[in-house]
Order: sequence, then structure tokens, then C-alpha cells
Amino acid sequence: MAGKVVTITSGKGGVGKTTTTANLSAALAIAGKKVVAIDADIGLRNLDVVMGLENRIVYDLVDVVEGTCRLKQALIRDKRVEGLYLIPAAQTRDKTAVSPEDMIALCDELRQEFDFILIDSPAGIEQGFKNAMSPADRVLIVTTPEISAVRDADRIIGLLEAAGKGPGDLIINRLRADMVQRGDMLDISDVVDVLAIKLIGVIPDDESIIISTNKGVPVIFENNSRASTAFKNISRRLNGEDVPFLNLQPEASFFQKLARFWNGG
Amino acid sequence: MAPERVIIKGTSNGIIVTIGAGNWKTILRQLAQKLEQRSSFFKGGRVAVAVGERLLNEEELEALGVLLAEHHMTLWAVYSNAPDTQAAAKALGLEAEPANAPAVAQKTGRAARTPPTEPTENVTTIRRTLRSGQTVESLGNVVVIGDVNPGAVIKAGGYVIIWGNLRGTVYAGAVSPENAFVAALELKPVQLIIGDAIARAPADERRRTIIPEIAFVQDGQIVAEAWRKK
Ligand SMILES: Nc1ncnc2c1ncn2[C@@H]1O[C@H](COP(=O)(O)OP(=O)(O)OP(=O)(O)O)[C@@H](O)[C@H]1O
Ligand SMILES: [Mg+2]
Repeated sequence: MAGKVVTITSGKGGVGKTTTTANLSAALAIAGKKVVAIDADIGLRNLDVVMGLENRIVYDLVDVVEGTCRLKQALIRDKRVEGLYLIPAAQTRDKTAVSPEDMIALCDELRQEFDFILIDSPAGIEQGFKNAMSPADRVLIVTTPEISAVRDADRIIGLLEAAGKGPGDLIINRLRADMVQRGDMLDISDVVDVLAIKLIGVIPDDESIIISTNKGVPVIFENNSRASTAFKNISRRLNGEDVPFLNLQPEASFFQKLARFWNGG
Repeated sequence: MAPERVIIKGTSNGIIVTIGAGNWKTILRQLAQKLEQRSSFFKGGRVAVAVGERLLNEEELEALGVLLAEHHMTLWAVYSNAPDTQAAAKALGLEAEPANAPAVAQKTGRAARTPPTEPTENVTTIRRTLRSGQTVESLGNVVVIGDVNPGAVIKAGGYVIIWGNLRGTVYAGAVSPENAFVAALELKPVQLIIGDAIARAPADERRRTIIPEIAFVQDGQIVAEAWRKK
């Protein structure tokens, strides 16, 4: 068995990488896959908080890399679903404690055990991003429909292409149909038009995400909100399924628009 | 304004400074001015000077070399038809044969009469989308087959052609502003500089019909018009 390493990154901070990692990991596990999520945001760990596993941490990523513990000891099992694990980031160290080579070696080991290895990348284009990117078989780039986030996503895609990891797949997070309709927010085609990479999912701005994040329960465990359906759909697309896009916008022209850039490239 | 006595061109063989007739001091001043304006562009380049029939002694050539060095450029050759100038150049350890002129000069067909100073049509071709943070610099011309996204920058000595959408920043004509232009399938740059003229994107541009456009300088202003066969 050779698992797939999927890195979730963005460039700009706070656009939803950690939320996406937590929910996609859970969705893949619910679909019967064996999944490990790695928090590569060393020094600013919070994937454990979002997944509600903070109180179970004994060892972390740096411990594994430095050989302070065995790999198995750092794997925290999520009891809510079969086959979901977390390797948390160290809180008290910085990104230089781990190198891209360490990440590649670790993921090669995890590939034997797991179907999916999801890596939550830190924001930015520095060492932490390089650590998260280097073992990736596939990269998901998260952006919000804001000019600055799209600009940073574009920068990241350029770096991924230069590193032979590109161009990656795009996730647009926090879309607000009402604002798009008023012309106050970039719409999907505006974003895809600039970035010119494949869209793998659109997640609506949804307050249930904030509520569930505060409870430490990924939204996908909780309810059938549109956000959780969007995450489920992305996880299915990651699995190679062809899933139609959610209709996030009330107007009928949405699918026409979608079809236009989908077919047009 | 004084007539142009100094022309600077980027070629695949380095930078070529062509010097016309006129008072040597005035010429050096003009050259200094031009270098001042565009020095970041020429930095680190090697320079050949084409002086035609002009008689120059070692001292004058040395002053030229020093001026170039002050702008971080190295004088390596003097193209001249005057034996005395050639001798002075050789004495300073510079290349001095007219035969060392760029090969293109011979191809123009008027090589016999014209001093061998025609620049090569040096084109850098990029076959991908330039993304935010990516920069392309060339002393010659630049052709992009792909988009130029916001945050990407092109600096070209001559013209820039983009077979795609221009949404980033382009400086064209940094070396040869005379015939510089910028053409794109969709011309929506953040900022456009051609020679010394600057144009910025209007703050709020409603979507209009998208047509290929070409921008160039007319009476000191950047103008854009439909890009079609003339
Ligand atoms: N679709 C959404 N709807 C509403 N809130 C969201 C959505 N996605 C993320 N958020 C909220 O945005 C905030 C930032 O999300 P998150 O921590 O996942 O971003 P990040 O990219 O991991 O940030 P960082 O760069 O700091 O690691 C969180 O409070 C989260 O709950
Ligand atoms: Mg995060």
C-alpha cells in the first residue's frame, strides 16, 4: 500500500487551511480510509485544537523527527471515527527544528500504513511551507475570494510550479453568495480566471464552522450544513470521484459560469 | 533638447553604446544622464562602444571607461573605423577591431556603409504564466505565451508581447524607448511604463469588451489601441 500525501497550503494566513485539513481528514476517515493529519505549523500548533485532541498530546512532530519517541507514540487516535490519526506540531519549537528531508522520510514511513497523509501547512513561503510542500504528492491551495488572498495563492502556485509540485488544486473558502450577487465579492470565475488551476471545491462562509471549531468538533461530524457537504464533496473528489459542484448561488447562471471556466480551462 | 548623440542598446552580446557626432564632453554628459536613469537595468553589463570615425585618445577612452565603471559596467570593446582610435583602445587592453562588431551588423546588407553597431533582435520567450512575485528582466525584447498576473513584473529593454492577459506590471523600452511597445490579448496592467511614460490601471474599471491591444508612447503619453494587422 502506498498512501498519498496531500498538503494543504495558502500563502496568506487565516484563510482556512487548518479547518480544511481537519474536515477533509475526518471526511476521508468516515469514507473508510485510513488517514493521518500532520500539523506542520510548528510553534503555532492548532490542528489539535480544531480536531478536539489537544488534551491527548504527549509527543509531537519534533519528537518524532528527533527520535525522542517512536512514530507510533506520536500518533493520536481520534475516537470518533475509525482510522483517523493526528501528529501534532510542537508548540515550543520553531520551524527550523524540522527539515524538508525529515518530512519526506516521515511521510515515506507513513505511506506504508495510511491511505492519506494530510499536511496542514503554515502560512507564508518560508521554511515551514517548504517542509509541508516537499513530501507532497498533491497540493491543495486554499484561498478566500479576496484580492490579497488570491495574490498570495498565485505566489504559492508559482513556487510550487518551480519546485515541480504544481500547479495543485484550488479550494475557494468562505464564499458568500449574497455578497457575490451584490458585486461586493470576487466570484468563482474571477478567482479561477487569474489562478488558472483546477478547482476542487468551494466552501461557503458558514457560521457553523466557527461554532464547531470552538467546540473542537470538525463541522463534518456535526450536521448537514452546506459547509460539511462541501468538505465531503472535496474528499470524494480527492478519492477520484466525479462529484458535481454545490449550487452555492441562488441564480441559475451559476452552473453556466461554472461550466464556462470548467470547460474553457 | 539637444539631439540624441548617445544610443544605448541591449544585445545578446552585451550592451552597445553608439556615439554620434558632437562635442565629447557633451556626449559624456548625455551618457551619464542616460545611465543615471536606467542604471539598475544595465548593472553588471559589459559594454562595447561604437564611435564610427571619431578620433579618441587613451585619456578620453579612459574617462569613458571610468564613467561606465561608476555605473557598475565594464567597457570591453571599442568599435571604430579610425586607426588612431583603435590603437588607443588596444593600448588600454580593449578589443578594438571593427570585425568584433556584432554579427548582425553584417546581415543588414548596409554593413559596408553603416558602422557595425546594429543591435541584435534579442528576444526572451517565456512559455508559461508569470505569477505573483515572479520577475523577468531582459535587455532585449520579451515575449510571453501565457498570462502575466498581478504581482508579476517584466522589465524589458525593448518591446513586450503577451499572448495572454496582462494584469501585472510591465516596464518596456528601458534600453531603447524609441520603438518600444506593449501588446497583449487583454491589456489590464497594474502599471505600465514605456520609456519614461507611465500609465496606471484606473482604480475602478468596469468590464468592457476584451480585445487585444497595443500600447505605445505618443507625444510623451501612453496610448492604447486595438492590436490588429496594419
Ligand atoms: N468557511 C468558513 N466559514 C466561516 N468561518 C470559517 C470558514 N473557514 C474558516 N473559518 C474561520 O476562519 C478562521 C481561520 O481558519 P483556519 O484556522 O482554518 O485558517 P488557517 O489558514 O489555518 O490559519 P493560519 O494561517 O493562522 O494557520 C477560524 O476562526 C475558522 O473558524
Ligand atoms: Mg492553520
